[in-house]
Amino acid sequence: MTGARYIADPEECVQSVALDGLSVLFHRPSGMTHIVAPPAPQILEALRMGPADAGEILARMRAWYDLEGDEAADAIEARLEELEAAGLVSRP
Amino acid sequence: MSGTDNKENGGSAFVPSRRTVLVLGAAAASTVVTIRPALAQTAGSVLNCQIPVPGPHAAGSYIGPDGSLVAPGTPGAAPPLARPLNGEEAKVLLRGSTPAGVNPQSAQAYANYIRRLQAGMSGFTCYASLQMPR
Repeated sequence: MTGARYIADPEECVQSVALDGLSVLFHRPSGMTHIVAPPAPQILEALRMGPADAGEILARMRAWYDLEGDEAADAIEARLEELEAAGLVSRP
Repeated sequence: MSGTDNKENGGSAFVPSRRTVLVLGAAAASTVVTIRPALAQTAGSVLNCQIPVPGPHAAGSYIGPDGSLVAPGTPGAAPPLARPLNGEEAKVLLRGSTPAGVNPQSAQAYANYIRRLQAGMSGFTCYASLQMPR
């Protein structure tokens, strides 16, 4: 599948703290703090390998995880739109 | 879904040693909550704080072009402001613009007065707040 491509800031731009299943992310460039639940942190990790659309992100995550959930690509796409609204990913 | 091989993946530190189940959830399930910075909340009160020009210690004094206090009626000096500036208006002044209700010819004198505020003078805390990084 091909869709909008996204990029994430490099790892050093985001300080991450794991909190019992959630992650708190401090995005240095914006000074904003975000609480994210899976699969958002995993999407960000997948994007750090380079720009990708939802399908490519899914493929990268499948290499690491057993993914559960129907309509995975739709779910990833929805998360990407959320992450974009939060300023954690952008379109190149 | 789970039939893919457990590939080694380029040495990325993130690759788990054992495969983990990751639930993607429904498309409608939100996973990101953004916390506004604490300073963003204080910004509201900062912008509502007040700076009297001049302060009560110099009530009635005029403000020279350099922001100093001068005798009432001094030529070229700006008269006292009828009401204190709020933080937002002070910010506008310090950016070199003129807030509503302020004589543009006097704006520079008022801006310089604010810049010369020192600790202990009325309005200083408000001015200092405006200087804080976001």
